Amino acid sequence: MNTRESVRQAIESVRAQKLRSGLTLLSIGIGVFAIIASTSVTTTLQKVVGTQLADLGEHSFLIQRTPSIQFGSSWRKYMQRKPITYQQALEFRERMTTTALITISNTNPAYTIKTAGASTDPDVSLIGVDHLYSTVNAVSYDRGRGIVEQDVTLGRNVAVLGNDVVVKLFGQRDPIGQTVTIKHQAFTVIGTLTPKGAVLGQSQDNRVLIPMPLFVKYYTWEWDRSVDVSVKAWSKMSLPATVDEAIGIMRVLRGVKPDEENTFELDTNEALTAQFSGFGSALLIVAWISGIGALIAAGIGIMNMMLVSVKERTREIGVRKAVGARRRWIMRQFLVESITLCQLGGMTGTVGGVGISWLVTFWLRTTGMDGVGYDLPLTSILFSVIACTLIGVGFGLYPAYRAASLDPIEALRHE
Amino acid sequence: MADAPIIIDIRHIGKVYPMGDEDVHALRDVSLQIREGEYVALMGPSGSGKSTLMNMLGCLDTPSSGSYVFKGNNVRDLDDDDLAAIRNAEIGFVFQTFNLLPRATALENVELPLVYSGTRARDRRQMAIDALHTVGLGERMHHRPNELSGGQRQRVAIARALVTNPAIILADEPTGNLDSRTGQDIMNLFGELWRQGHTVILVTHEEDVARHARRIVRMRDGNIESDEAVT
Repeated sequence: MNTRESVRQAIESVRAQKLRSGLTLLSIGIGVFAIIASTSVTTTLQKVVGTQLADLGEHSFLIQRTPSIQFGSSWRKYMQRKPITYQQALEFRERMTTTALITISNTNPAYTIKTAGASTDPDVSLIGVDHLYSTVNAVSYDRGRGIVEQDVTLGRNVAVLGNDVVVKLFGQRDPIGQTVTIKHQAFTVIGTLTPKGAVLGQSQDNRVLIPMPLFVKYYTWEWDRSVDVSVKAWSKMSLPATVDEAIGIMRVLRGVKPDEENTFELDTNEALTAQFSGFGSALLIVAWISGIGALIAAGIGIMNMMLVSVKERTREIGVRKAVGARRRWIMRQFLVESITLCQLGGMTGTVGGVGISWLVTFWLRTTGMDGVGYDLPLTSILFSVIACTLIGVGFGLYPAYRAASLDPIEALRHE
Repeated sequence: MADAPIIIDIRHIGKVYPMGDEDVHALRDVSLQIREGEYVALMGPSGSGKSTLMNMLGCLDTPSSGSYVFKGNNVRDLDDDDLAAIRNAEIGFVFQTFNLLPRATALENVELPLVYSGTRARDRRQMAIDALHTVGLGERMHHRPNELSGGQRQRVAIARALVTNPAIILADEPTGNLDSRTGQDIMNLFGELWRQGHTVILVTHEEDVARHARRIVRMRDGNIESDEAVT
């Protein structure tokens, strides 16, 4: 009596009880699906965020009024913080002694950019920048030039356009030297940004850069005038010292008392990654707990089904014993049956989970995330196979034992 | 026949079943020897102990007292797995209700004992086909039990009993669920198997069925009442 024979018998009896097996199979499938899909999607998202954060630069950090990734309910606390004003940011830059590149910028969404004959949708991000913006944020230009120090100090009406805006307003024509208007203010186009594509469905090219003083003057309101300060330390080595000094100066400038916590956020690349991976882990834990819960529930279903099956097949067990089946062979037959059932369910869930996560990756790619590849979540698939086997054995053991212990005489008499 | 080796040697066996507060003596003091090549009918009304004795002979049950030596093995000393091994190799059961696996074909049913004896797949297929030919069912081996008549089902069961070439064929009311003509055919088949050298033990309560055997053992109240050759 080999295992192949047992598997054949198992598949045979699964087929004989289509509905009952199907339902049990489904519950196993759901558990496995939850585990595989969540692991896979989270991994992909982590990769996406990782790519994004890498853009920020290895030894850069960001000072903002509110954190860039927010979880939980501290929203109210953040909104009570005073804005980081442009003046404050300038003063901060002035006081910093550690060698570092510091750029002050701010972004407002949803602007309409116009020329004499054309207009964009009202969805262009307007970014106020200074002359260090492109160095710190690794921005490059494919035509013309970026915003230089004189543009900032003299408050020149100049603008650098993202590719989406260029295409919309000028098509194939050269935009350099042309005039665009943003809310009745005229700007001369001095350069265009190298196209970057989209991230999570958000185009990175639908933006316009203008000098910070103009941004503050025309496009900032009392309730939203906080600027972002990006600091690029000289090297990874000098990053901690730079961070320390930045925190100290900001606290002084914002009048934070020694026993109070910071009234601003300082996010290093690492901290952001850690924050996100914390979020990712939380998501994974929830998904795994629910997946494992579903698997255990399914295990109980398996046990019930196997017990019914043993009862219904009492006579068959009697016949098998009469013709010479040993206890352990009967036991093995029912165990293999319960494992087979679990594995069939597991396969269903794996196919579903892999399918869904593949679709998510595919969707991310259609939104322009070329860098996102699909990796088969081998660890979770392996885990599922092992978990299904364990559940099959764990919950099949008692029914199998019941079957193996039947008295052949009684079993043969069973109606 | 008298000098053929003794296969079954039962001496003073008893079987007691606890039932509630009382003990039920299904067998009191039974002694019986059966030699290779015999054709024995075991008769008796219900409650006479013939079913218990049959279970004992078939190594499905062990005696409470006395000794049962089957082909040199004292059955009382054997555990479940040893008994299963003996049933597999030495005993071919034929039941009143056929007891075929409903989802398996005739061929697969006949192969079943060989599966448990660890015979290689190709060999057991051939052996099962041969056994089905012996009982005259060579044509219908891929049918399932519900596609076969009662007589055909019993032939499949007999083929299953024969396939391991056992020491005894133990038939419990083999014609009980069949009409008289089909029953006659089945009895003729047993006669033929006996003539080919098989040892056949028949359990029945019907006199005309028992007449096919060469020796009739009658049971009453847990004892053997009579044991005589058929004339």
